[in-house]
Amino acid sequence: MSNSLFELLFKYSPYVFQQGRFVFSAAWPSMALAAVLLVAGLLAVVRYRKVGGKSGPVDRVVLASIRTLVLVILLFCLLQPALVVSVAVPQENFVGILIDNSQSMQIADRETLPRSEFVAQAFGAEGSELLDALSENFKLRFFSFSDVLERVDGVEPLIYAGNQTYLGMALDGARQELASVPLSGLVLLSDGADNALGGISDSIQSLRAASVPVFPVGLGVERFTRDIEISRIDVPRTVLAGSSVGVDVIIEHKGFGGSTVVLIVEDDSGIVSRQDVELPRQGDSTVVKATFTADEPGPRVFRVRIAPQEGEMVTQNNQRDVLVSVQDRADRILYYEGMPRHDVAFLRRALHEDHNLQLTVLQGTAENKFLRLDILDEDELFGGFPKSREELYEYRGLILGNVRVHLLTSDQQQMVVDFVSQRGGGLLMIGGHSSFAEGGYAGSPIAEVLPVVLPVAEEGATAHSATEIQIQPTLFGMTHPVIQLADTLEDSREHWRQLPPLTVVNQIFSVKPGATTLLVGTSESLPQPQIVLAHQRYGRGKALAFTPQDSWLWQMHHDIPLEDMTHETLWRQLLRWLVQDVPGQVELTTSRDRYAPGQSVRVTASVRDETYIEVNNSQVTARIISPAGLEEELPMDWSLDADGEYQAFFTPKELGFYEIHVGAHRNGDILGQETSHIEVADLSSEYFDAEMRAPLLQRIADETGGRFYTPDTVSALPEDIGHSEGGTTVLEVKDLWDMPILFIFLIVLIGVEWTYRKLRGLA
Amino acid sequence: MKYSQLKATALATGCVLISAATAIGFASDRQAPAMRTINGRASLTQVPHAGISSSDTSSHGALSPTVPIQNAMTAVVSAQQGFPQEFRPPEDFYLRGSRARDSGGPHDFYFTRAIYSGYGYRRMGSWAIDFPKADRQFLWGLRRLTNIDAYEAENAVRLTDPGLRSFPFLYALEVGRMSLTEAEVEALRSYLLAGGFLMIDDFWGTYEWQNFEYEIRRVRPEHTIVELPMDHPLFNTFYSIDELLQVPSVRIARYGGVTWERDGYVPHVRGIFDDAGRLLVVINWNTDLGDAWEWAEDPYYPLPYSTFAYQLAVNTIIYALSH
Repeated sequence: MSNSLFELLFKYSPYVFQQGRFVFSAAWPSMALAAVLLVAGLLAVVRYRKVGGKSGPVDRVVLASIRTLVLVILLFCLLQPALVVSVAVPQENFVGILIDNSQSMQIADRETLPRSEFVAQAFGAEGSELLDALSENFKLRFFSFSDVLERVDGVEPLIYAGNQTYLGMALDGARQELASVPLSGLVLLSDGADNALGGISDSIQSLRAASVPVFPVGLGVERFTRDIEISRIDVPRTVLAGSSVGVDVIIEHKGFGGSTVVLIVEDDSGIVSRQDVELPRQGDSTVVKATFTADEPGPRVFRVRIAPQEGEMVTQNNQRDVLVSVQDRADRILYYEGMPRHDVAFLRRALHEDHNLQLTVLQGTAENKFLRLDILDEDELFGGFPKSREELYEYRGLILGNVRVHLLTSDQQQMVVDFVSQRGGGLLMIGGHSSFAEGGYAGSPIAEVLPVVLPVAEEGATAHSATEIQIQPTLFGMTHPVIQLADTLEDSREHWRQLPPLTVVNQIFSVKPGATTLLVGTSESLPQPQIVLAHQRYGRGKALAFTPQDSWLWQMHHDIPLEDMTHETLWRQLLRWLVQDVPGQVELTTSRDRYAPGQSVRVTASVRDETYIEVNNSQVTARIISPAGLEEELPMDWSLDADGEYQAFFTPKELGFYEIHVGAHRNGDILGQETSHIEVADLSSEYFDAEMRAPLLQRIADETGGRFYTPDTVSALPEDIGHSEGGTTVLEVKDLWDMPILFIFLIVLIGVEWTYRKLRGLA
Repeated sequence: MKYSQLKATALATGCVLISAATAIGFASDRQAPAMRTINGRASLTQVPHAGISSSDTSSHGALSPTVPIQNAMTAVVSAQQGFPQEFRPPEDFYLRGSRARDSGGPHDFYFTRAIYSGYGYRRMGSWAIDFPKADRQFLWGLRRLTNIDAYEAENAVRLTDPGLRSFPFLYALEVGRMSLTEAEVEALRSYLLAGGFLMIDDFWGTYEWQNFEYEIRRVRPEHTIVELPMDHPLFNTFYSIDELLQVPSVRIARYGGVTWERDGYVPHVRGIFDDAGRLLVVINWNTDLGDAWEWAEDPYYPLPYSTFAYQLAVNTIIYALSH
């Protein structure tokens, strides 16, 4: 029921009923009223029981009920029902009018007029009924807000250029500003966009405590008819230089189902990725994977965009920027190969020119005899596979290739598990006669870590005879950065089709729940597709399984051209991804990667010792280097909330990249250090998720005792706000006996009785 | 004495001689200097080259190749009883071209012998010298001494076979008689550029060097041939080899005399590297490792030669499998 209809039938607006207290004004005692009501009812029943003639029992019941209802309504009116409401004393109270001054108010979704147009018409134009009605009873105080709250004299100075909107801050500020005057309420003119990180609950609680009702006026439409928005981008914060970076781009659209758009990723040097995306006909949201290469070390901003489409209501939300910290460091990987085979040589060659991956090889050449390659000093791996966690945790990645499980002691097996779960390292097992189930891993602790389900096999059991499989990416794998072998998805797909087959001796057909399969292999001699490459998260790290035993054939096979880089590319991407997110002893995070000037940055450092146990008694310092080169050193305090977690805050002022360097010491020894970056820029998130957020505004109204309006219903605002309980008020009794709805009911009931008698032929 | 006569002698007296060899030769204390060197634990734990080290972690001391070789030879000769004196299989017998053709395969390693064009030498060409006995005997030793999953039989492949690139290790000998066709030149170039590794053996003197150099320059004209220094990782991947031994042909080895042939007085191990520093070709010049493998079971064949030949070849293969 619309408000105007409600008011026509019930005389007053719903808000008045909501705010008022219902009473009967008649001086009769309630017991007398009840007695009269009872007697009237009994008389009606008795009278109709005696009615004879043509009427039957049903007729008598119907007629008695109608007559009783008529009597009840009449009696209700005689009792003089009324509402006792608070009414603001005219010109004694203040009303704060908060006007959203952010960029989203420029969105033209009010019949091609911008949202700000309503503000201009309602509060800026001469002779505005709304402004006059409010001014008649209240003293008005205007505020504009976006990322700051300002007192203004009217709406004229507003330019709607704020690039952030903090609703809570605005409500808190206005409440405090008007705390010393009788305040009837706050009128909030906004689309409901709120970019604050902390939410609005605290502000609502404060308003309730101060009995300040908020009357939001929602500007804009709740759903665009035609729009494309890049709503979110998931991207790794840190990658190694030269890595293939995979980003998940979440695209939301309205009215473009079935259309094909071009998704572009670009940086300062130009376009780094480009692909066609067909927007789904069903549903508003789709996830697109884009991959590109991050070459230059340092903080890099990548822009993901879709060209504006015809008829779009908002085009500014077609692009987003992301910050990626490209690090030029050498991540160490231990490759333990149980016996000499070509994989070692070809893998080392594949990584030969990759300066960001440092592969150390421990290769068993005979019983208890090892060949160590690319070791840093004579002691490294001297006794074979590491026997302590400190030794193993030096590496970020671990590859097990053709290593029978009995070559690892029970403690070493548990160390491998802990390497993944506690240290957060990356584990990769490669297929072979002594790998997976054929290597005796089924039932071992390491099997728990692997993403594949191992068939039960005794260690030393003869491996399956080799099976040639043709390998293809899965639907998900096709868009995974590890699997990209060409610049475009289509080229990559075609490249995979042309690769020669490999062989497997470890038949594996299923992955664990939660694991992801990237590559599968098919063969007529296999009952179902072979799992070729799968991964899963395990604790803080990840585990991968690559089941073929001769990937070097993708380098040596006579069908592979000499200039082909499949083998090198695949292994570089795979191993970079293996160690991409592996934390060091000091792990540095910020709540976001991009901030506006003046926003507080929370720096969190997680500190662990050599065995990756959290350390609470270390001295942790953050060194902040501004874009201009100014350094600031901040001590970081243990947060108490979590073991090994330290926090510090700073407020950047300059635009540009801030370098954050965190170092941790304990008893004079360096535990670790880590560097990260944030970008400080004039961020504009105003055009994202820019439809009017009616639920949030409704919630503010409901929880503060106000009422939510749209431009169509805002005419009731002056009267409603006059009945709020805030400010200086007097109690007023409003009669209800003359509500039109009561007389309509009486007429209808009498008419029904007459019609019924006529139809039934009753007197 | 011709090779066929030697073989006949060996076959006729095989079991008896092997028993004698076991009792006298292998069990005796006839250790070559190189042998003694590698048996020292200290040498096994040295780090002879930056970034590379071979370590023996066994609790019972250093590995000795003596016993494994002895056992391997016994089995080989026993298996050899049924061999014809002149091994003349059909022409296509060796043309495998597929790693999966053997029943237990594919294995991690195939000792692949290159079939190349050359000046006539017997019926099968110079590529087939010592074939297949040397290959088989070496493989027995290799499988026993290391944990390489090696295919136990010979594997000869034509240079022009499309399947050649499926075998990243290639062995060629008597290259003094090599005369490659253009197709073979192109195939070998492609093989090496793709990642293949070539081991050259058994050619002597200036004339044969010049012939080989001419042929290999047709394959890799842009790369020079360099002498491998003794501190090169190849000499330490499995055994620590301190000096190069000239392994003579079987006739000289058994009956004594000078160890060289023609003007090949000094043994050399040379190499060809690509621009990235990868060793593509190892050239064993003025030495005959193949003969040493082939006659390792012969009680009259000097142990130092066969020991050295096994050591250098094992090192070369492990190097190829890891670099």
